Amino acid sequence: MSRSVAIIGAGPSGCFVAQALLKADPDLQVDLIDRLPVPYGLVRYGVAADHQGTKGVVRQFARLFERQGARFVGNVEIDAALLVEVQNAYDAVVLAGGLSQDRRLGIPGEDLSGVHGAGAVTRALYDHPDADALPQLGRRVVLVGNGNVAIDLLRLLAKSPEELDGSDLGAVASEWLANSPVENITIVGRSPAEQAKFDAVMIKELGKLSGVSITVPDLPDTDSPDGAKKIDALRGLAGLSGGPKSIAFRFGMTPVAIEGEGTRVTGMRFSDGAGAQTLLPCDTVLTAVGFGAGPEALDRDRRVAEALDDGAGCLAPGLYAAGWFKRGPRGTIPDNRADAQAVAARILSDFERQPEAGKPGHAMWQGRGGIVNYADWQRIDRAELAGAADGRCRHKISTRAEMLAIVAKTEETT
Amino acid sequence: MKIAILYGTETGNAEMLAEDIMAELEGAHEVTCANLSDIAPADISDDRFYLLVCSTYGDGDLPASAQPFAESMDGSDVSLAGVHFAVFGLGDSEYDETYNNGSFRLAELMTAKGATQIGERVVHDASGSDLAEDIAFPWAEAVVAQASEHLGQAA
Ligand SMILES: Cc1cc2nc3c(=O)[nH]c(=O)nc-3n(C[C@H](O)[C@H](O)[C@H](O)COP(=O)(O)OP(=O)(O)OC[C@H]3O[C@@H](n4cnc5c(N)ncnc54)[C@H](O)[C@@H]3O)c2cc1C
Ligand SMILES: Cc1cc2nc3c(=O)[nH]c(=O)nc-3n(C[C@H](O)[C@H](O)[C@H](O)COP(=O)(O)O)c2cc1C
Repeated sequence: MSRSVAIIGAGPSGCFVAQALLKADPDLQVDLIDRLPVPYGLVRYGVAADHQGTKGVVRQFARLFERQGARFVGNVEIDAALLVEVQNAYDAVVLAGGLSQDRRLGIPGEDLSGVHGAGAVTRALYDHPDADALPQLGRRVVLVGNGNVAIDLLRLLAKSPEELDGSDLGAVASEWLANSPVENITIVGRSPAEQAKFDAVMIKELGKLSGVSITVPDLPDTDSPDGAKKIDALRGLAGLSGGPKSIAFRFGMTPVAIEGEGTRVTGMRFSDGAGAQTLLPCDTVLTAVGFGAGPEALDRDRRVAEALDDGAGCLAPGLYAAGWFKRGPRGTIPDNRADAQAVAARILSDFERQPEAGKPGHAMWQGRGGIVNYADWQRIDRAELAGAADGRCRHKISTRAEMLAIVAKTEETT
Repeated sequence: MKIAILYGTETGNAEMLAEDIMAELEGAHEVTCANLSDIAPADISDDRFYLLVCSTYGDGDLPASAQPFAESMDGSDVSLAGVHFAVFGLGDSEYDETYNNGSFRLAELMTAKGATQIGERVVHDASGSDLAEDIAFPWAEAVVAQASEHLGQAA
């Protein structure tokens, strides 16, 4: 009997671990378990709706299930008790559940109404089944953070409806953006511009927007080639004047407090590190300052801190970690691939040193209700593609109940 | 004919396509497939036809797995005279200014060392509606047919 591997989380990291394992040993039994009835994690629910090209990577993942023998075990949330069962049933278990919780700034005023995390907002925009409703935004937004996620949010808020053609943005989100009251967005970074985390291409892309005016402060030259690319891209935006919405970049400002009247935000205070403070008046604060472990994360921080070998992703004998769960909320899809290959190599070398235990693997799910398998996901996928509205490439089904209804309906007729 | 497929990739799309092209050509030819990260300029020989499959990153840069190869090519005085290759690019027209620059640069690196390009560079657009293999298979068939005229005796 071949060995079995359970990967918890069918996001890009989990999928890349499965890919590397099956490439090295096509006989392995590899199962990808996800709490959602649909696979692919943040490729579906994080990568921007107007960056469909980046989502093309799912064709590789589809092949895992369609040709390479991996199985999707969807709609199963692994909690601490179930994890023990899974560890008993499989020869190796990989935790690849990502990091879903918006990191907090840890400053006064963060709980005022009008303060929203980028993870929560993007989940709502992209129709994640667990998302809260889209928040009510105001006219003046301060967007805190200088990573690619902040730029994604900035771009979506600044785009005209026509500029969202070809995306998979749903009707509710499209309307929310089209009718948004936002007039003015100030995007604030803690670091100087040349050290900002965003990629220069993300900034260049903003230069194509038709309906915004952009101001950028005078930026000093830098010796770092990577920093210079960012500075050049930002300078290229300065003075862009296209339309009614305005965007202002600010750098080198550390958040101090969010101020409010009653429960509403009225402004955000920053320090420049040299003792001076700036108050930016606003009615909405969006934070995009990273992610941490959510309630579904299986005590992640402790497990990673106690890892046997965190470089190779080995948490404990037979238990591994990959992706954002392992490394923290940094790195793009390509980074996850390289890292997943290293984790897979570690698993395979551990297998070589251990005798086979003849564990049941996938059989543990027999008789268990509610599991969504890959064929079920294909039905959901087909329904989403067939339901695409004009100007959209897909109509994402936004609730578990509707997803499961599609699965149930086809079960009745087959 | 002996065919060597070499790919440069970051997220694996080019790798999957390279493997698909290998499967497509294997029946009629002797085909190998390797990551450019495992290839040195001196490994390239004129006894086989090279199919290069390469994506683009950053600001029109080569993908990570092709960068070590590009660096050794830049710093090497190897001659690739007599070597024949064709190139297929993967890119995304969202990045309009640098659309498919990576495969273009790879082809330049080869010709700069004296290699001969067979056929036009053909590219796939991740934001387009075509599947990469639907463009790449006809490309591979066409360039292999052209190359067999050049490599007839050698291979
Ligand atoms: C808003 C946003 C935009 C981004 N845009 C890009 C981009 O354009 N390009 C790019 O390269 N990178 C982008 N990234 C980064 C990229 O998404 C991450 O690098 C990558 O998704 C991390 O992969 P992962 O598999 O570790 O986690 P995830 O993608 O989060 O996948 C984790 C999966 O595990 C499941 N899960 C979690 N807990 C459990 C549990 N207890 N039981 C069962 N299942 C569980 C989740 O449902 C999810 O499907 C973006 C990230 C964000 C947040
Ligand atoms: C961060 C990033 C930058 C990219 N830059 C470019 C680019 O400048 N030009 C281009 O044509 N494609 C660009 N692409 C698109 C990729 O080349 C395309 O998605 C390709 O299919 C990836 O293939 P791979 O998985 O083999 O690396 C970029 C993609 C990403 C994620």
